[in-house]
Amino acid sequence: MNPLTQAIISGLMMGAVYALLATGLVIVFHTAQIVNIAHGEGYAIGGILTAVAASHDLPLWAALAIGIAGAVAFSLTLERVLLRPRSSWSVNSLILVTLAVAFFVRGVLNVSVGSDPVSFPRAFVGPPLRILGGVLPLQGAGLIAIGLLAAFAIPLFLAKTRLGRQLRAAAEKPDAAELMGVNVDFARSLAFAIAGAYGALGALLLVPMVSVDFQTGLGMTMRGFIAAALGGMSPVLAILCGLFLGLAEAFVTTYWDALAKDPVVFLALIGIALWQSRHIRFGGSLRA
Amino acid sequence: MLAATGARAEDSYTVGVIAPTSGPVAFVGVAQLSAIQWWQHDVNEHGGLNKRHVELATCDDQANPEIAVTCARNLIAQHVQIILNTSVTGPVRATLPLVKDGPVMIVASPAIEPDPSTFVFQGLPTDLEITRALLAFLKANKVDHLGMIGATDATGEVGVADAQKVFPPAGVKLDVSRIDLRANDASIQLMNVTKGSPGAIYSSYSGGGAATVVKSYANLGLTIPLIVSNANVTNAFIQVIKTDMPQRLFGLGMRSIVPALVTDPANRARVEYFEKSFKEWNHGSVDQLNHLGLLLADAAGAVLAHVKDPNDPAAVKAFLEHTPINSVQTIRYAPDNHVALKADNMIVVEYKNGRWTKADPLK
Repeated sequence: MNPLTQAIISGLMMGAVYALLATGLVIVFHTAQIVNIAHGEGYAIGGILTAVAASHDLPLWAALAIGIAGAVAFSLTLERVLLRPRSSWSVNSLILVTLAVAFFVRGVLNVSVGSDPVSFPRAFVGPPLRILGGVLPLQGAGLIAIGLLAAFAIPLFLAKTRLGRQLRAAAEKPDAAELMGVNVDFARSLAFAIAGAYGALGALLLVPMVSVDFQTGLGMTMRGFIAAALGGMSPVLAILCGLFLGLAEAFVTTYWDALAKDPVVFLALIGIALWQSRHIRFGGSLRA
Repeated sequence: MLAATGARAEDSYTVGVIAPTSGPVAFVGVAQLSAIQWWQHDVNEHGGLNKRHVELATCDDQANPEIAVTCARNLIAQHVQIILNTSVTGPVRATLPLVKDGPVMIVASPAIEPDPSTFVFQGLPTDLEITRALLAFLKANKVDHLGMIGATDATGEVGVADAQKVFPPAGVKLDVSRIDLRANDASIQLMNVTKGSPGAIYSSYSGGGAATVVKSYANLGLTIPLIVSNANVTNAFIQVIKTDMPQRLFGLGMRSIVPALVTDPANRARVEYFEKSFKEWNHGSVDQLNHLGLLLADAAGAVLAHVKDPNDPAAVKAFLEHTPINSVQTIRYAPDNHVALKADNMIVVEYKNGRWTKADPLK
């Protein structure tokens, strides 16, 4: 096997998942102006519900649909029941609410499904592809293709469609947008629904090749957030940074040591955050 | 965090249990604790020990050393007669100084080799002994090159160090690659250790995410025999990997996991009784971690039944050091050895036809 090729394949697979998660965080940020710490729970709920449904002998397509529906329902409930009635609260308080929700979901998943990791069958089955000395499972190829297509659809949606522009307007100047006929509540619900669906999509594509348990969510939020933050919450840059993050982890593991993965990734995050805030530190006005 | 089952009675014994029932290795704590709870139920249903009921004071350390220390302090404050610590290396190490004056604590992390002068006893073979059991299997199968995936946690550190001590001096070439406990992909690690075409791959990774190694193995289409650690010879692990089962999956297990291989009639009777009763009580199946939990509980039971004053740690220590105890396997400690089992108590098992059986030859 060729280490370089395998590192790229592994990095793209994980990067596609990080890109999906980052996209979900970004679209919520662009409509509701908050960082949803419970975003990764959509990944956990989607993956675990699908695994539970598949274990009850439901057809895979039905199990996948249940996984996505569950994650979307969770995300919509979070927005409608907890966040919308508290829209006058400070952003920091709302972020704390989403953090509490993340821990609540962890607990509920632990009590209801148990602590053991679960998984479900692959949607793409067949011999792996062998490319330039690397091995790419068909599920991995599906993950990269579908993940990146779905992720890049969001910046196009926000920039090129009427609904997408309404979403952005709802975030930037909600009062003005409302006067212009934009249904701000609907826009925010739609953003949360898309975020939930994208979290679940990441799980449906990745979990068959790994596993998922009740405490996976926060880790996924963290990776998605790093990608989104590195990309300055820009939809396109967040996707690229998700890919960069996946590749960086794979290259550090391949050419250095798995132990060095977190220090290197977080050092990069610190470095980029400092670079982005250079104007503040040197008396300017640009915020990271 | 701390919970006692049932009302505390003056004339009851209390066994303290530290179990990581949440956190990254929750399946380890849950499985062992359920066997200990079965034991408590079984003992009390049969009239208790010395006509005294047994209570459990349980504490979830979440596999976190700081929480484990709190658990141990609380259990000691409750004056439990003995502590069963089912957690993993880091948290167990953190609790060791707290029992320097007792009570006796029996641990279940193979990475711990207790100093015989202390009140700490090991319920499993040490990792070194388990590694020697694997060496015996490899030698019997003429394998002279092993690829190994080890976790980056404290348990993984010990596993890799022991493998370095055992395999190269015995003429087995060893290639090691490390994996993070929460990793989602192990293909790079597998690629690193399969470069030289080893005769087998050993995944010493014992967290729930060890499934990642097996699934990445399937992703790469590998056919080299895969041997998983003793902590993964479990039903939960098989459930997660069943759609990506390697052509041949091996595991390191206690001999009792294949009851037919238990030679001592008393031990075999204990295994058969436990498996039947536990399945009825738990409405589930039995795996190696349940056996391990029972082994710890049986040691505690022997102490409570036979030591005149189980509140005296010196008396408990002396009893354990001089008395073999029948359980799923015979527990043998000595004044100069606080490790219950040896390499010959461990075997390599193979998953075939829906259950773990004695391994067939590799080639």
